[in-house]
Amino acid sequence: MDKLIEILTECCPGIDFRNETALVDDGLIESLDIVTIVSELMEAFSVEITVDDLTPENFNSAQSMWDMIQRLQ
Amino acid sequence: MSFTSFTYIAFLVLLTVVYYCIPKRMQWMILLAASYVFYCSSGVRTVVYLLFTTVTVYAAGLLLGRLNAQRKALSDADKAGLQQRIRHRKKAVVAAACVLNFGMLFLLKYWDYTAGLLDRALGTALPRLDLLMPLGVSFFVFQSVGYVIDVYRGKQEPQRNLAKLALFTSFFPQIIQGPISRYHQLAPQLFARRSVDYEQLRAGIQLILWGFFKKLLIAERVGVVADTVYTSPSSYPGSILALGTLAYCIQLYCDFSGGIDITRGTAQMLGIEMTENFRRPLFAHSLADFWRRWHITLGSWMRDYVFYPLSLSRPFGRLGRWSRKHIKGKAGKILATSLATFVVYLLIGIWHGSSLKYIFFGFYNGIIITTSLLLEATFVSWRARLRMEEHSRAWSLFRIARTCVIVFIGRYITRAPRLLTGLAMLWNTVTDFQPAALLSDTVLSLGIGWTDYLIVALASAVLVAVEYAQERGVHIRQWLAARPPAVQFAAVLLPLLLLLFGTGGDYVPAQFIYAQF
Repeated sequence: MDKLIEILTECCPGIDFRNETALVDDGLIESLDIVTIVSELMEAFSVEITVDDLTPENFNSAQSMWDMIQRLQ
Repeated sequence: MSFTSFTYIAFLVLLTVVYYCIPKRMQWMILLAASYVFYCSSGVRTVVYLLFTTVTVYAAGLLLGRLNAQRKALSDADKAGLQQRIRHRKKAVVAAACVLNFGMLFLLKYWDYTAGLLDRALGTALPRLDLLMPLGVSFFVFQSVGYVIDVYRGKQEPQRNLAKLALFTSFFPQIIQGPISRYHQLAPQLFARRSVDYEQLRAGIQLILWGFFKKLLIAERVGVVADTVYTSPSSYPGSILALGTLAYCIQLYCDFSGGIDITRGTAQMLGIEMTENFRRPLFAHSLADFWRRWHITLGSWMRDYVFYPLSLSRPFGRLGRWSRKHIKGKAGKILATSLATFVVYLLIGIWHGSSLKYIFFGFYNGIIITTSLLLEATFVSWRARLRMEEHSRAWSLFRIARTCVIVFIGRYITRAPRLLTGLAMLWNTVTDFQPAALLSDTVLSLGIGWTDYLIVALASAVLVAVEYAQERGVHIRQWLAARPPAVQFAAVLLPLLLLLFGTGGDYVPAQFIYAQF
């Protein structure tokens, strides 16, 4: 999880990834951020994230992204 | 049947009465009948294109649904080889649906222009089709293809009733100029059984009136100024060209967003909530932010069906890995996604029409947005040197003004009859401004008088004030509902009186601009 938070903070500085739970719904991260995050996650965790995984529910919080990574590994 | 005609109002009143009076299980059928009556009222011949789209996406949806079910039913032992085969079949079905529908769109909208270009370049004599353009063809094709892709992705069960799918593809309030709805948002509402909800009826009527206010009081007047200036641009100095372009900016926003308000208000009268298509673009902080607020449903369609698949495709993945390795800093990380962004804006430009000016418009937006992404760190350092706080009012105002100027320049390109005319007008605005012309009689020779300018100024002030309040989180209709009845009554009556007496007796409103797309 710490590694994920580190990646997220590097991609989108200034966002409290540990506590935010509506990153997409509140517009804190946008489509371009999501794609940047996805490419970093695929490389760092060796997972295959597809278009079907790009739902707001999977990216609304660091925890939901972590759950998605666990699911795909 | 134009939204601004008395025929439409009579049609809507009659439909609303019938809709709530007939047995609830037949309500969606009435909507389907009304949608086809509405569509055919602008010409029966073009309905064939709507039927073609409906039938092809219906068949594709059924085939994909069957393949999805087969894939789910596979046992683990079968999976490897058979899954691969099913995946290929699914791809073939979705590709066929896209080729048929986008192919039809291409033939209708782009073939004659492309043939002209090829003839000039290669000396050929390709045939022209001269086809009659169906109303809202880009809107219903995009919405229908979105449905097929959702079924392909397994996010949506296919609709097995052809008539119900036909209602989704043809729902009359949105067929002319959107919004481009998603099946899972709109369809369940279309088929729901409803009783009269007076709150919804009132809210719908208010929204329609607000749309009329924008379209009839503002867009129609400033449209005359824009038309006059752009008909003979060489006759005017730079300041009048700028005035004409400003008039066009206001016209386009009030025409399109006013039309969408009438669309959403109409649907609301029937108990259906449609997606928002505008979110106060005047207050956008950047060009990318502007496109998130303007024609939102086209932007989100492009994001979900073009940008994401393109960004996550293998070639873009390879490019991303290469750029991260060879280009240092943020530029290396976002090069591939910036390129995908550029492609999307180019497509948005081309979506607007078959002309070099729209391709240039796509490039213009794509280049500015990708450059701003790649140079973000540089801009932040400039702001620090200017000692501007990121959340300060001055910085915010500067960003809004900068976005307005960028959008304003882009409108020269799209409004002018040809790309070179637009660029020449832009050049004249800079090099031959002549501000004194704005105080001369020239302003009154642009097709409208002082009274009209005054009405536009007052109505625009009301519009900006309302949008500013909304931007600050005020819900205008809730605010209005909490006022005394006399204030609520006046809020409805005043625009009505203005619309009745402010539009002139022999006045015929123009067609909505986006209906041609």
